[in-house]
Amino acid sequence: MSRDSKLSRRELVLRLSSTALAGAAVGGGACFFYDRRARAATVRPVPDWRVHGLSGLPPAVAARGADPAANVRRAVDALGGMGLFVKAGEVVVIKPNVGWDRLPEQAANTDPQVVAELVRLCRKVGARRVIVTDNSCNDPRRCFARSGIAAAAQGAGAEVIDASSAVWVPAALAGDATGLEVMEHVLAADRVINVPVVKHHSLSRVTIGLKNWMGVLGQGRNRLHQSIHRAVAELGAMFRPTLTVVDATRVLMANGPTGGSLGDVRSIGAVAVGTNPVACDAWGAAQMGLDPAALPFVAEAEQRGLGRSDVAAVKELG
Amino acid sequence: MTWFQRVRVVYQGFFLLLFLWLLARLAAGDLRDLPFAVFHHADPLSAVGLILAAGTIPGALVWATVLIGVTLVFGRVFCGWICPLGTLQHLASWLLAGRSWRESLQVNRYRRWYALKSYILVALLVGALVGTLQSGWLDPLSLAVRGLAAGLWPALPSGKPVPGGWLAAGLLLAILIASRHIPRLFCRALCPLGALLGGFARFAVFRIHRRAEGCNDCTACRFACQGADEPLGAHRVHECHVCLNCLPACPSQALRYAPVPPLPSPPARPDLSRRAAIGTAVTTLAVAPLLRAAGGGRNVARPELIRPPGALPENEFLKQCVKCSLCQQACPTGALQPAIGQAGVEGFWSPVLVPRRGWCEYACTRCGEVCPTGAIERLTAARKTGYDGGEPVRIGTAFVDRGRCLPWAMGTPCIVCEEMCPTDPKAIWFEEVEQTGRDGRIVRLQRPVVDPQRCVGCGICENRCPVGERAAIYVTSVGESRDPLNRMVLAPPTR
Repeated sequence: MSRDSKLSRRELVLRLSSTALAGAAVGGGACFFYDRRARAATVRPVPDWRVHGLSGLPPAVAARGADPAANVRRAVDALGGMGLFVKAGEVVVIKPNVGWDRLPEQAANTDPQVVAELVRLCRKVGARRVIVTDNSCNDPRRCFARSGIAAAAQGAGAEVIDASSAVWVPAALAGDATGLEVMEHVLAADRVINVPVVKHHSLSRVTIGLKNWMGVLGQGRNRLHQSIHRAVAELGAMFRPTLTVVDATRVLMANGPTGGSLGDVRSIGAVAVGTNPVACDAWGAAQMGLDPAALPFVAEAEQRGLGRSDVAAVKELG
Repeated sequence: MTWFQRVRVVYQGFFLLLFLWLLARLAAGDLRDLPFAVFHHADPLSAVGLILAAGTIPGALVWATVLIGVTLVFGRVFCGWICPLGTLQHLASWLLAGRSWRESLQVNRYRRWYALKSYILVALLVGALVGTLQSGWLDPLSLAVRGLAAGLWPALPSGKPVPGGWLAAGLLLAILIASRHIPRLFCRALCPLGALLGGFARFAVFRIHRRAEGCNDCTACRFACQGADEPLGAHRVHECHVCLNCLPACPSQALRYAPVPPLPSPPARPDLSRRAAIGTAVTTLAVAPLLRAAGGGRNVARPELIRPPGALPENEFLKQCVKCSLCQQACPTGALQPAIGQAGVEGFWSPVLVPRRGWCEYACTRCGEVCPTGAIERLTAARKTGYDGGEPVRIGTAFVDRGRCLPWAMGTPCIVCEEMCPTDPKAIWFEEVEQTGRDGRIVRLQRPVVDPQRCVGCGICENRCPVGERAAIYVTSVGESRDPLNRMVLAPPTR
């Protein structure tokens, strides 16, 4: 470079550093964005929400009486109290069946008093957040409002997240549910309590706890009905709740799972709480007068080692 | 800015925010009985249109008389102080265009073709008189809701797509962009509601009044004039939006907004030639029946024309629907969509239920509650579902496509349509069969069959059918309660 080209040192440093900066920006950008979508699409695992190391508990405890909240309280206490399952500071998701735009009397959704009592019990033992959630079949806002569950849950100190405000993420699901999305807040929870209602269903004959997991799945879940028994057992193997609370306060005996007529609703006034989802479903089926042994999804769940379907082992408090 | 201009801006902001807030609450499925249609109830264009087309002012639309009363006292304050579309254009012209003093004087001049809106009004009213209500096409309130409901809300998170929505959104956008070049071009040249209110404003008690002896013809009053009504000289009171920008602009304080001016201020007549007005009316008389026939007529029921529950019979419906899109905004499932081709030319943008987009929620009566003109009747949940003991309101009937249905055609169990069916007892029942498959295995199948006596046509079966893009069960309009001729089966014989 000749002397009279007048490139000062200052100018040289400036020019070279700006070139370096531009190069760094291009390189850094390329590194940052390279294959980014492939990395972002990682699937979330479904955690195991069970409490391990408990022994000597009955698989489930059932309580009967006119007050659904008292039934929940008595059954949970007989199982050792909520403190055994939920620790202070934990985030608890309560997953009732809020599938339909129906009133509580029509028994198409879980009884709001059962949900509210569970929220209160979780809050009492110090749960940081209690979230009540479901992916409804009808318009979610109407389902949560008319089922009475939004008001009851919020009144007891829970948040309500319905499908219109939920975030959906790909989850590590196997079998027929492969590729479906799951509500993000369910996967992020420390504890999950499954709160199905017992009712008639034309395909599986009865829908209780194992089938209730349909309600955390997103678009495309309809296809699971092609092999409902296998799909329901698979869901039970992937989603392992802390507790299953079976609501048989009112049982829809026909025209399920939507119902409508009060003539199809039978008042049973019972609630069962258990750690064994298969025993819970067997107990629920028995409340409808069905023989659990004759239900293929119960048998299939049993074969997968999800629990025993022994109704006699369920402790009845009366 | 003087104190009365500030008050006007506060009014404009309040009404625009109220309008947007109500639309937002509607889209959010707010279950309260908020006055969602309050703007539309005060719309004299809809009221006059309905009187001419259907011979009735249904329910709360009678509030339109209040707006006419206000116009008779204060002039077109609706345009300058209340109309959300006017305010949006006002805002757009202020944001998009920086004009010099000279340009402002130029763009706010009156132009003869601003009289176009009066001819549009004549055409719409004559059309209404012969039974086709098209005022909603250019009604500023309908136009604003349409553009926002089809063009803005679908783009928001949790918004539902509206096929064809770009047509309405594009028109709204074009109106806003046009006001960059000529402020409030739509108000000045096209708005039929403005033309109608202008007719009443000619009798207004309060008006802009010019003291001729104070005026030095400087034309400064034209500087920020919204209506291009030129207070200078013969003030066009029917064009004036009462924005009051001219008062502080006058350097010699020769202008006043006052009741019953002491001096005769000649109210100029709308720039409307009698010959052209009669020509417009005659043309409309000829074109309206042509459009109806060319669009397919009203007497043949169309399979895809599934109207909302409580919709009047098609002939009456088209005399009352102002295409305001409120029902589409209110529908919780996104089932109600604008008709693009399903309802002929005159039914363009009227609501039609598209089951693959959403279903009619069994106990929901939202669309009828927000309909400002009674084109969709107000139902109760008990009336709609038939829980009051009467016949349920039906909007169509479901049919199983046995060539696509999994249990019928694929030997595969599926019951989703039956599971979703909301009626009691369910309108879908099963024919149970055992079928031997190709591999010799026996499959027990429940094949769905629709009971037309029970089906209300809500479409949740079609919406939730797991068979991909085209469902294996679909709803058509046959059996709809509103049309006794669009029927399929009679009641079963009494045993």
